[in-house]
Amino acid sequence: MHMKLTDEQVQLQDGARRFMDEQCTMEFVRQMEASELGFSREMWKRMAELGWLGIDLPVDLGGLGLGTLNLTILMRELGRHICPSPFLSTAVIAGDAIARAGTEEQRAQYIPQIVDGETVIAFAYQEFSRSFDPGVIVVEARPSEEGYLLNGTKMFVEYAAAADRLLVVARTSESAPSRRGLTMFLVDARTDGISFTHTPTMARDRHYEVAFRDVHVARETVLGRVDDAWTDLEPVLHKAALAFAAFTNGASFQLHEQSTQFARQRVQFGRPIGQLQTIQGYLAQLIMEILGSDTLTLFTAFNMDRGRHVRGYVAKAKAFSAETVARTMDIGSQIFGGMGYMEEVDSSLYLRRGKQYELMLGGTDYWYDVAAEEVIDVDEPVQLT
Amino acid sequence: MDLDWSPEEEAFRQEVREFIAKELTDEVKGSMFINTPERVAFVDKMVERGWLGLGFPEEYGGSPSPFPLAQFILNTELERVNAPIVGKNVGTIANTIFHEASEEMKREFLPKIFRNEGQWSITYTEPGAGTDIGSLQTRAVDKGDHFEVTGTKIFITSAHFARWHWMAVRTDPDARKHQGISILIVDTDAEGISVSPMYCIGTTTAERTNEVVFDKVKVPKSRLVGDLNKGFYYMMQALDYERFAIIAAAQHTRRFYTILKYLKGLNYAGDRPLYDDPSVRRKIGRMATRIEVGNMIERLCICVAADRVPSAEAAMNKAWGSCMQDEVCQLAQEIMGPFGFLAHGAEHAGLDGYIVEEGLMAGHCKVAAAGVDVAKSIVAKRMLGLPNALGKPELPSRS
Repeated sequence: MHMKLTDEQVQLQDGARRFMDEQCTMEFVRQMEASELGFSREMWKRMAELGWLGIDLPVDLGGLGLGTLNLTILMRELGRHICPSPFLSTAVIAGDAIARAGTEEQRAQYIPQIVDGETVIAFAYQEFSRSFDPGVIVVEARPSEEGYLLNGTKMFVEYAAAADRLLVVARTSESAPSRRGLTMFLVDARTDGISFTHTPTMARDRHYEVAFRDVHVARETVLGRVDDAWTDLEPVLHKAALAFAAFTNGASFQLHEQSTQFARQRVQFGRPIGQLQTIQGYLAQLIMEILGSDTLTLFTAFNMDRGRHVRGYVAKAKAFSAETVARTMDIGSQIFGGMGYMEEVDSSLYLRRGKQYELMLGGTDYWYDVAAEEVIDVDEPVQLT
Repeated sequence: MDLDWSPEEEAFRQEVREFIAKELTDEVKGSMFINTPERVAFVDKMVERGWLGLGFPEEYGGSPSPFPLAQFILNTELERVNAPIVGKNVGTIANTIFHEASEEMKREFLPKIFRNEGQWSITYTEPGAGTDIGSLQTRAVDKGDHFEVTGTKIFITSAHFARWHWMAVRTDPDARKHQGISILIVDTDAEGISVSPMYCIGTTTAERTNEVVFDKVKVPKSRLVGDLNKGFYYMMQALDYERFAIIAAAQHTRRFYTILKYLKGLNYAGDRPLYDDPSVRRKIGRMATRIEVGNMIERLCICVAADRVPSAEAAMNKAWGSCMQDEVCQLAQEIMGPFGFLAHGAEHAGLDGYIVEEGLMAGHCKVAAAGVDVAKSIVAKRMLGLPNALGKPELPSRS
């Protein structure tokens, strides 16, 4: 029982930190905020060269197959630098969905492309609803002669305009609020009838509304089970939720370190403000929560890799990382005083993101509901020792 | 990273579970304050297995263990079922004696502790020295062949049934305050000691602690633990241990599931089943999460414990874990509405008053063995490297 990283994990973590320190500076993040694309294709290529885009994808298709734990170790480093990239939607969500549910042809076609950094895939899942539950999906895919006809609007689709393909979850049968009757499609983003509207966000990342108007897609674009996407997709989203939890934990660690550093140096009333018990209480409470969140994420990833039932643990890890990142950015920024709320200060980049991260990939409501299902609706809740 | 227990550790856990299944009765379960004959008998059965001396050498009556976390696993399994744990006698007293005391004292007291012969009272706190324990005023004056102890101690929980006081006294009034304190072992029946009860808040069991007055009590020199004037250091080191080993997170998981099960069966007139209410479900999901975070902070302690005594990690464990009892009880009461304040004796009292009782006593966990705020200051200082907020000097070094 220990949390020491293996030599390979140290290499992965330190390598990622070095790369991010050099490439993903706060100046770079600001440039990306001001750019049309929202990320750097050059950095994307470099990430591919480092093997990151295939970190948890099948070895026989060019990936490294290193598992969820190593994925979270990498994501934590990206999160430290609030790295803007379509990593989560492409390498984690689409990659894992194709690896799990794709046909041989789909796997052979797309996974090497993802691993090599030759494609960007956006995840078109959420719609005009505050809920992350799949039951709310009403975007419709009606069977047609050559395949399906897509109609409706997806929201909160990151990097959609830059994407080569969209992973769309649409309703093929039954009706809301059923979790059944859904199907995944891997759609060429340039197909006629698809339009993108940029929706500005507090993080200043690239989110889009994606409208589908009589979009014809071939039968071959179906990914996984028809009418039962959730069976394929739920485990994918659980892995993605853990990866995102690790990412946000990284961001929390980083801002906490900056705030602590500032509290040691900033002198008021003739002494460092870090000597005030109130400031100490803030920083100590936050580091407990961040370490608790980080350990919960790693622990869940470790157990996920061993095939154990971790649905409740994923929910707890995602929800708590969300609460923690929002609180860390809020309180961590307060410690900087007035400067914490100035554009010019780098911590403000974290502040703008903290609240947004909390609400992404399912807010706490959704994940606390899942956590509740796992303790209330079962006879014996799973309690991993 | 390996977050699984070893096969040996798992086998030991299984052994403990089988022991509990065989030996634990309802009369044994209960509160930390009550020392009933049934509880003593249960502990004696653990003694037979050598479980009180886990990890200590045989020459002192201990049972060497091939892995350092045996005692922790034992306590976790005991906490899961609300059985008496291996507590301060081993965690604080035996550990300190083993590491710091003379050979003679080790041979006299360690076997007694491991056989559960006679209880101990931790006798530190004074009316003017709570959080700031370094300010304690109880004097032990050197009278040549003995110390003469005079002063008043409060919140001395086991004083009315214990056989010995494990006691902090001032032995050098001229030294800086943390450097003039020593630890003595004092017989509770020595002349000049008077005990009066202080009753804890509660509605049924009237659990008690005590005020203890020492008036010129004679204590042999041989009862000095370790070195003169090193007492503060010993206390702090033992507290690190206590904040980890004695506040096992399993108790919070157990309490949460007990209350969860009770709430599941509730159906007040005209209401839907409680667990149909989305706001109730979310609160339960959130509480389950916070309990799990406590388990994870404890896991951080476990992971360092193989190499060293957890310190800042133990303070985190204390600060987080000790809030969980309060949070769970408060949540249950919130969900129950006005039924939440019904106490033992009322027909619809939650778990026959248990929820109210545990809720009232929850505050005790938060203030014992360093209050939550003090624990956070320890984290700030030892983990974050922030300057000392409490105005105390750093601990005297061990050498």
